[in-house]
Amino acid sequence: MQTIDWLMMALICGGVWGGFAVLLVRALLSEGRKRG
Amino acid sequence: MSGETGRELFSSRWWLVLATLGMAVGTGNIWRFPRVVAAHGGGSFLVAWVVFLLLWSVPLMMVEFSFGKRSRRGAVGAFARLAGKRSAWMGGWVALTACGIFFYYSVVAGWCLRYLGAAAIGELSVRSSEEVWNGFAGSGTAVLFHLLALGLAFSVVWFGVRGIERVAKVLIPLLVLLVVTMAVRAVTLPGAEAGLHFLFSPDWGALTEPHIWLEALTQNAWDTGAGWGLILTYAIYMRSREDVPLNAYLIGFGNNSMSLLAGIMVLCTVFAMDPGAEQHLAGVNNEGLTFLYMPRLFEHVPAGGFFMLLFFLALSFAALTSLISMLELATRVLRDFGFERRRALLWVAGAGFAFGVPSALSMPFFKNQDWVWGLGLIVSGLLFSVGARRFGLARLRSEVINGEGSDLEVGRWWSFVVGVLVPVQAVVLLAWWLWRAAGTEWRQWLNPFAEGNAGTVLVQWAVALLALLAANRWLARRSLASGLQASEEGD
Repeated sequence: MQTIDWLMMALICGGVWGGFAVLLVRALLSEGRKRG
Repeated sequence: MSGETGRELFSSRWWLVLATLGMAVGTGNIWRFPRVVAAHGGGSFLVAWVVFLLLWSVPLMMVEFSFGKRSRRGAVGAFARLAGKRSAWMGGWVALTACGIFFYYSVVAGWCLRYLGAAAIGELSVRSSEEVWNGFAGSGTAVLFHLLALGLAFSVVWFGVRGIERVAKVLIPLLVLLVVTMAVRAVTLPGAEAGLHFLFSPDWGALTEPHIWLEALTQNAWDTGAGWGLILTYAIYMRSREDVPLNAYLIGFGNNSMSLLAGIMVLCTVFAMDPGAEQHLAGVNNEGLTFLYMPRLFEHVPAGGFFMLLFFLALSFAALTSLISMLELATRVLRDFGFERRRALLWVAGAGFAFGVPSALSMPFFKNQDWVWGLGLIVSGLLFSVGARRFGLARLRSEVINGEGSDLEVGRWWSFVVGVLVPVQAVVLLAWWLWRAAGTEWRQWLNPFAEGNAGTVLVQWAVALLALLAANRWLARRSLASGLQASEEGD
């Protein structure tokens, strides 16, 4: 694996999984607000 | 039943999201994505794949959620109610295409169950995967497993939204756990780095080739479930105060997260066990990768029998949760026509079994149906765009997407994407696939009896379209006549 491969992996996995995690946290907070 | 409105509803946002994620994550994530990404430039393909998640899947998911939430009807009734009675045929097309896929998808789910059984009793360590596949595909046993898969999905939908919710609560977390476990095992195998290199290594030159973008768009159209009518069906059972846009993003990113995990799991295993895998992957199809190639590789993995069992368990869970949503879609359409739920389900399951038998017995027939109705999904996506335009893009955005319960404000970009970019993508994609089917055999291109050309697609579509147009008035009247779960939002 070259540096560019690691960077690409970080970019794609970070974008997709990180994006999903951020959306999940946002939904959790929003549900908390709606219930609170 | 929820006390909120007296309607059948998902009891929480999370069960709606899990059930919809279960619908979206199917065999396509596990058996198609790794193969397609490997064949089309690895990292560069992934860039295009993420772009189309935002330009096709998520915007169309918002349309579907809005149609279901606003109309509280299945595909036919939703189009008739929101896009006008003259548009009922469009909902009919969406439902018919999903049914066309449902009929053979049940066979696929049966294959997964057969291999799960073979992995569980150790049959795959005694007999070669070719032997098992050749003795099974196209045989009476395939029909039995088609019936078994359909029976399992039937037993869930029988209990309505509660059944779907209960199964999603258990199967989806288990599916995620299985895929994560196997992905971790795969990346820790000696030589797995070659798989990661193959998956993520960028080939920037590939991004100048139109077919890379078209394959990335196709993957999004086929494996996120956007434009199938399935999200619309589940959205009927979402509460009025439930959000649309954030849920659409969550499901889009959740589905693609699972695809990425599956890609890592499959390609790391493949390259760790077979250093010359690049050539083997180029010529393999979905069934070949999953049912012939992967079992051979697992034989060489430490504790391979156990991981093979987990692999087919994950595949079976993914297939069954998608099959359940297809069964519910067709059942819901019949319920709108005035059928009681269980009677509707019996009709749908009976038809599903009967129309699935030819695909179970004949691989050419299976491939033909996969080709015809897989492409039909792109038309479904186009029709959702047309339907949203007829209702009014600005109105749909302000009244439903950004309406009650919304957690995110969606801007005007959405109207542009759904009104302009989605139709352009659909037309280009259809033209490209039909053109590609020509190959060098132009004289065979329009033969309606061929397995995978333009002729068979156009003839089967024309028959379906003529029937739907002829029945449009009847479809509109029947789907709107029933007062079942009529919208309580004043529309």
